[in-house]
Amino acid sequence: MCAMTHPASPELDPELYLPRMASVVAVESMTAREKFFKVELSKPLGHRPGQFVMLSLLGIGEAPISISCGPRHDNILEMVIRNAGSLTRVLHRLQPGARVGIRGPFGSGFHLDDFNGKDVVCIVGGLGLAPLRSLIQPIIAQPQRFGSITIISGCRTPAEELYRDELESWSRMDQDKVSVIRLVDKTANLPWNGKIGLVTAPIPDLKINPARTLVALCGPPVMYKFVLMELKALGIPNSQIFVDLERRMKCGVGQCGHCQINHVYCCQEGPVFRFDRIENLQEALQ
Amino acid sequence: MSIKGGDSVRAFIIRKNAVSDWIKHLARKNSVSFPQRAGHSGFRFKPVLETSEIQFEHYRPTLAPPGKQLTPAREVLFKYRKNATADPMLESVLDSQARVLAGVRPCDLKAIDLMDRVNREGFSNPHYLTRRENTVIIAHDCLQPCDAACFCAATGSLHWRANADVFLTSLDDEILVECLSERGIALAQGDHFTLCENTEPHKKRAEALRTQPFGRQFPVPLEQLPAIIAKQWQSRVWEKHVEHCFSCGSCNMVCPTCYCFNVVDDFNLADGDSGTRTSTWDGCMLPNFSEVAGGHNFRPHPAARQRHRVKRKFEYLSQRFQEPGFCIGCGRCARQCTAQIDIFSIVSDLVSQGENDPCVP
Ligand SMILES: Cc1cc2nc3c(=O)[nH]c(=O)nc-3n(C[C@H](O)[C@H](O)[C@H](O)COP(=O)(O)OP(=O)(O)OC[C@H]3O[C@@H](n4cnc5c(N)ncnc54)[C@H](O)[C@@H]3O)c2cc1C
Ligand code: SF4
Ligand code: SF4
Ligand code: FES
Repeated sequence: MCAMTHPASPELDPELYLPRMASVVAVESMTAREKFFKVELSKPLGHRPGQFVMLSLLGIGEAPISISCGPRHDNILEMVIRNAGSLTRVLHRLQPGARVGIRGPFGSGFHLDDFNGKDVVCIVGGLGLAPLRSLIQPIIAQPQRFGSITIISGCRTPAEELYRDELESWSRMDQDKVSVIRLVDKTANLPWNGKIGLVTAPIPDLKINPARTLVALCGPPVMYKFVLMELKALGIPNSQIFVDLERRMKCGVGQCGHCQINHVYCCQEGPVFRFDRIENLQEALQ
Repeated sequence: MSIKGGDSVRAFIIRKNAVSDWIKHLARKNSVSFPQRAGHSGFRFKPVLETSEIQFEHYRPTLAPPGKQLTPAREVLFKYRKNATADPMLESVLDSQARVLAGVRPCDLKAIDLMDRVNREGFSNPHYLTRRENTVIIAHDCLQPCDAACFCAATGSLHWRANADVFLTSLDDEILVECLSERGIALAQGDHFTLCENTEPHKKRAEALRTQPFGRQFPVPLEQLPAIIAKQWQSRVWEKHVEHCFSCGSCNMVCPTCYCFNVVDDFNLADGDSGTRTSTWDGCMLPNFSEVAGGHNFRPHPAARQRHRVKRKFEYLSQRFQEPGFCIGCGRCARQCTAQIDIFSIVSDLVSQGENDPCVP
């Protein structure tokens, strides 16, 4: 398979950059800019929530994309892809049956055992729901293992909301276990059955016990500062907050240098960080 | 020939005028690069030919450091060919050609050692390591600084020996040849070589010839720099030295310890079915280096990028790899910079101005 005569060392993986091929099994439009992709690999991905893959099309390019489904035993991988540029534009044209390349899973992700017996608050802005769904799904599926879960999900207008059906069905579950707060900045004259405001607005009114609550955040860079201020006011220590950060990433394996936040490599130690471990890291949240 | 019991170094003396013959002899059987004059612009590592001028002492550091031969500007990671009925054929491309890098100075030797660590720790980089495994290094001591730009003694590079296979020291009209590995011993063969039982007198002689102090020195020892620079986030120094910067990234491209890359796909226009995925050098001084989708840029200002570059060399990678300096003091970045921005001056200013002085956005 590889044109190598003298392997440098036995443990070296000569195929570090070779993607595995996977089949697109479903593509659904979610909003004007985002599509939902379900792909089937030749074996289970074996990921943790919050990890990402490097998704590629041969001859077009490769990009980091969050895994949007919880850990699973089958060969399925779910992703939400925003049409943002040259690769993602072509991805949006794919039909079921198309072949894509996958490397990974990469990154730290969440360790579900950290969440055992805890109440969980997920705060997401826009596309941030895509990665955090990989955490929400397993928590909702095992109510006896975890405490309650609160999901605060915000986007600009109703037209941009992702996973609406799922958010609505989660909101109809046992109120003591699952609560969902859906917000938009403005309704833009569209029908809307949620609230209006920023994701920071409901935080002060959360009925939580700070001692047994873990918070996970994912959203655009501007969101973190304000949400973190509100969480501080609620008395949640930084060691109980997880942030999922975005950086430019070209390799996913700690080699290309693009994702560096000071001495930290976001693709290796992140993209999910326990906040107390990066609170003094300059440039982390700006 | 074999190594004497328990002795890992085998040393020889060779006459200076025989070195050129020896290198050319090696080049008849191997791919050997040596720094050679290139136009008016200085020296480059180029393949050794029968006509090449081989001289060890008098060359300014090459435009591109020798270590870049281990990570070419364009590195094909894999080739693919699509297939109408089955999965595409993917072929990882690893270059295992044997090569000799000769005429490597101690600073560049240290840089290669650092790059070995970068590419080996964590996920190891098969492309780099395959090439590295098949590369033998003939290095040589510097007894005078190359020019006014270098500061290798200040960065702890001048006495680097660790990863050389053969290490040469010039002594008047002879050269001390120390073979530091089995592969090095295999290279030092022939009538030119006289066994040297005791290298100490020769090394003492070389030390007496070495310029003292050797080139520019920082105001404090290297080991103290990471802690000092770690305190400087909002220093006025970042703005001061970036005033005339073009954000051209030349300083990154010529640096032996800059290794960031971009990844691009190319497809063959003639058939549309085959192509490559390639890594290409990238630089953190280039404006869009850390821009993400949606246009957010984590280091939009040149001063923030300069800060990242300098901190990377003296703080971030130092912390990550427990190695005080990732700048090896070769002076290439300053030599190539149109705006004459010199990392030595930036660091010296950071040390002397010390206190935080808010100004960088
Ligand atoms: C850990 C992580 C998880 C992500 N998860 C998702 C996800 O679930 N869904 C999704 O739609 N997007 C996700 N992204 C963003 C996605 O990677 C970019 O939108 C994608 O790289 C754009 O590629 P393109 O070729 O289509 O755009 P390009 O034409 O390359 O560029 C368009 C824009 O994207 C930026 N960009 C280019 N390359 C990268 C890169 N490697 N990383 C980040 N930004 C880049 C450019 O600066 C430009 O602003 C994630 C990014 C990261 C780092
Ligand atoms: S070479 Fe000089 S001008 Fe170019 S980016 Fe580096 S410091 Fe700026
Ligand atoms: S930062 Fe400049 S002086 Fe230091 S190693 Fe790189 S090119 Fe050489
Ligand atoms: S994505 Fe390349 S180093 Fe992190």
